[in-house]
Amino acid sequence: MPTLLAMLLTVSQIAGDHWSFRPIERPALPAVKDAARARNAVDPFVLARLERAGLDLAPPASRETLIRRLSLDLLGLPPSPEEIDAFLADTAPDAVERLVDRLLASPHFGERWGRHWLDLARYADSNGYEDDRSRPDAWRYRDWVVDAVNADQPFDRFTVEQIAGDLIPDATYSQRVATGFHRMCPSNEAGNPAVAEEYRVRTAKDRANTVGAVWLGLTVACAQCHEHKYDPVSQEEYYRLFAFFNGAVDVQIDAPPLPREYQEAYERAREAFSGTDNNAPLPPSTKALTIADPPEPPPTHVHVRGDFLEQGPEVAAGTPAFLPELSARGSRADRLDLARWIAAPANPLTRRVAANHVWQHLFGRGIVKTSEDLGTQGSPPTHPKLLDLLADELLESGWSRKRLARLIVTSATYRQSSRKRPRADATDPENRLLHRQNRLRVEAEIVRDLALAASGLLVWRLGGPSVQPRLPAGLADMEVLRNERFRDEDEGSDLYRRGLYTNVQRTFLFPAFETFDVADPNVSCSRRHQSTTPIQALTLLNERGFFECARALGHRMARRPDADPSRVIRETFRRCLGRWPDDDETHVLGSLFEELRALYRGELVAAQAVSGDRSADAAEVADLAAWIGVARTILNLEEFITRE
Amino acid sequence: MGTVGHPHDDATATRRRFLTSAASGLGSMALGSLLAGEGVLPATGDVVTDGGVTGGGASPERATRKPHFEPTARRAIFIYLAGGISQIELLDPKPRLTELTGKPLPQSFAGNEKRLSFLKLDSARLMGSRFGFRRYGECGMELSELLPSIGSRADDIAVIRSMHTDEFDHGPAEMFFSTGDEQPGRPSAGAWIVYGLGTETRDLPAYVVLMTGRAPVARSINWGSGFLPASNGGVLFRSRGEPLLNLANPPGVLDVAQRRQLDAVRALDRRRLERVGDRAIAERVEAYELAFRMQAAAPELVDLAGEPPETLEAYGVGRDDEEEHGFATNCLLARRLVERGVRFVSIFQRRWDHHSGLEEKIQKNCRVIDQPIGALLGDLKERGLLDSTLVVCGTEFGRTPVTQNSEPGRDAGRDHHRFAYSVWLAGGGVRGGQAIGKTDELGWHAVEDRVHVHDFHATLLHLFGLDHLKLTYRFKGLDFRLTDQGGRVVSRVLG
Repeated sequence: MPTLLAMLLTVSQIAGDHWSFRPIERPALPAVKDAARARNAVDPFVLARLERAGLDLAPPASRETLIRRLSLDLLGLPPSPEEIDAFLADTAPDAVERLVDRLLASPHFGERWGRHWLDLARYADSNGYEDDRSRPDAWRYRDWVVDAVNADQPFDRFTVEQIAGDLIPDATYSQRVATGFHRMCPSNEAGNPAVAEEYRVRTAKDRANTVGAVWLGLTVACAQCHEHKYDPVSQEEYYRLFAFFNGAVDVQIDAPPLPREYQEAYERAREAFSGTDNNAPLPPSTKALTIADPPEPPPTHVHVRGDFLEQGPEVAAGTPAFLPELSARGSRADRLDLARWIAAPANPLTRRVAANHVWQHLFGRGIVKTSEDLGTQGSPPTHPKLLDLLADELLESGWSRKRLARLIVTSATYRQSSRKRPRADATDPENRLLHRQNRLRVEAEIVRDLALAASGLLVWRLGGPSVQPRLPAGLADMEVLRNERFRDEDEGSDLYRRGLYTNVQRTFLFPAFETFDVADPNVSCSRRHQSTTPIQALTLLNERGFFECARALGHRMARRPDADPSRVIRETFRRCLGRWPDDDETHVLGSLFEELRALYRGELVAAQAVSGDRSADAAEVADLAAWIGVARTILNLEEFITRE
Repeated sequence: MGTVGHPHDDATATRRRFLTSAASGLGSMALGSLLAGEGVLPATGDVVTDGGVTGGGASPERATRKPHFEPTARRAIFIYLAGGISQIELLDPKPRLTELTGKPLPQSFAGNEKRLSFLKLDSARLMGSRFGFRRYGECGMELSELLPSIGSRADDIAVIRSMHTDEFDHGPAEMFFSTGDEQPGRPSAGAWIVYGLGTETRDLPAYVVLMTGRAPVARSINWGSGFLPASNGGVLFRSRGEPLLNLANPPGVLDVAQRRQLDAVRALDRRRLERVGDRAIAERVEAYELAFRMQAAAPELVDLAGEPPETLEAYGVGRDDEEEHGFATNCLLARRLVERGVRFVSIFQRRWDHHSGLEEKIQKNCRVIDQPIGALLGDLKERGLLDSTLVVCGTEFGRTPVTQNSEPGRDAGRDHHRFAYSVWLAGGGVRGGQAIGKTDELGWHAVEDRVHVHDFHATLLHLFGLDHLKLTYRFKGLDFRLTDQGGRVVSRVLG
């Protein structure tokens, strides 16, 4: 919170002067020399800056690269060989646009982009803190997000329903689930009665801070406010914002029943259960989480030095003075007024923040790099006018994020090659001017999704309660975790769902995801890290789930005994990487296959263990083990987890 | 339960020999030149403070980085006794409190404190230590009779008796002591140090976490990387079997096959690197080589077969009690880790939350920790490692000088206490043989040379040559630091 407080203090001093607080005006397209390269309104802004620096756009990426890039960015899934063939064969001038339209209409778009939003919403399937109990109703909100993104719900409505759906007259079930946004914070249910009020206040502050960061790009939450000294004015502004959330109470509402299969699965688990009550299976949830305001909200006071026990002057709910004025429906502003104020076209921050998020997920970096902070402490925009164009497009398109994404991905800027350009790199080493596309390591969940998809194990089913994939071998006998509330691993197809559906335990993240920089669900996260570590390598090489993928892919390869090995290699390579290997690459993998086959012919027991097949004869099982080795190699290539 | 101490089978030994020779062979040389050619190998430079999110970023596996000034500590072993150890019984002698045992707490002490944990002041009674204190070492430091082995190292130890913290509930207090903030999301002190200095080992993680018994309440937040890149966070070693998750090859994958596949991965990645020129590929190649070396180094690390029997005995490895054996093993492993260049080792043991039956429980705990910690200090000293290895023994808060709502006696316990508690440090440039700070005569408040958790953290960084005001990371628009808005180096700790 001191950061938001500090922000308010700073901005009151420089109010109106900071770029992101000015009204959004649609900029004129700049004149550029290489106008022929421009495909749409995005490009002149990028070209103009490049030309000023004596640079130009990189050549377009190959079509194979482009379809994989689009599939990963929009769906988080690799294109199938058939989809690649169809796209390569499509010589119509609008082939890219039609491909983009098909991808935007896919239900997997909502899974991919819903997950981006869930990072902001600090989504988890548990409560956090000491007990970290399961939160079996949280997924209703997750599914609401995915559905809303798929339906391209206008962003202003998407905003209002999440901030104050419960206060909309005659609020629907769906609108109240949307407001479950505020229930996604950690909550300390157990603990000490002495601290109950402290945690209630903490939660309300978390909600105010999170809304500030997610929609307004004003820096979010921390704590320790009592160690800061602020002047009374800035404190007052903060607590006016806090007042919108101060009275809210947690509510559970009835949710539509789940399909019968869930009840049946529960009954089976219950019968098979023989442990302690502590970890007995829970019946499928029939509730959803939301909040409600009491008719008479409690008074809000400034907390002197941030200490809730030190009550200062009383304040009324209100918004910071440096932003457009809020108009309340009644005598007193409430959360719905706040929500509408945030979603109003006149609010200069909301659209800039949202457009910047969309851009960030398509280039790996926002026009404002600090996408959670467009305030005075954030980094300056690399292309301020372009950001305003996008913010204006968002409004003009009826707040459609799909149309905004479409505009961006069909631009020449997006479609550039990502290959390094030594000369341009010397001038623009961080590629802030976008002299090429960025190469990005895909996010944690997508790393796994890609392996599942390439191996054929992926189960495409959408939505429903979260699932628990296999945990690493040996985790269960880590004594220190003996008392953890690990969910039991699921069975059957639930083991192979997309990463989006993996149970998120706040105090113990799914290890393979944590290793790949998954968002910390305890705080709102607007951008993830992209680290490269040896633990990641061990995960991709040896972790059970990833090895299962290699095994499944190897079995697929072995199922074509009549085919020439190099043909099997070429086709598998393309299935995984979206392009044909060159001769050298084929040769490396071909020799690997031959060597492994020779090795495993003398190691029957090992070959059986690799393949998981004890029935096949020695030659067959050696082939199988060798193919699995080749599959494992391809799945461990840097390119496999990279969006070019 | 501790690791190892059991003879490995022949297959393991063969595998290790193979891995060791392969890792030091042609492959890694070729890799080295590849990386050097790409300009990817670390150049030492100032501490990186930009929160670069995209791109490879500064990966501590590769780099050692320059501190702000000459450090005295190069690595740390942080023994975290979670739950809140009783300073009254162990570290802060209070004879006057003993005299007043059975009396209520004078009103002047409790003051108008609004936040007490489970304590009800009308039924709480003053209670002196259930155990005696002895003078140890040439310095004559007073420590509990329950800590003879640690006490024998008193001349190397600086005990801080005037610690205080803001939090009195385990979760927030643990996080506060580990990360400088009572809510999740911040990097742990160990992660900050790894971020600031990088690492000296290429075969093991920069930050390793060892544990016996249950995990601390805030679990991995205590060793996590918070908003720093994940590679700065602690890696939890398992206490049985393979020390790291995913360390062993999958079933049936022979070592020669593993190496062959890694060679193929490397060949293909290098080809890609030549074509697209992204140094992230070189970093990925290097990560695979490190992983391969870890597969050899980690089992070697936890294999104690080469340790002389007198060392095992000194630490207490092999003691009958499982917890005693486990904690002893972790202390010995900590020495082996720092010997191999690991920057930061955390040892957690969570058994100190003695709300009742304190007398018996604290005796048992001291049996668990005293001998191994004393042996660790002695062992480090004999090997010449103590000068550059900081050993810290700390906890999230202390315990009340009053009973928790009962009469003093065997069954009595103490509640959480945030106004005064004790921790100690040794080695790594710490001036030993001294007690820093004082509490009042009842031990309720720290009254002299008060040391807040932020001050403690500032001091920790200082020993590593890091200025707590300069070691920052930009996140959400702010330059965050371990010490938040506070922190003052406790100069008396320094040698």
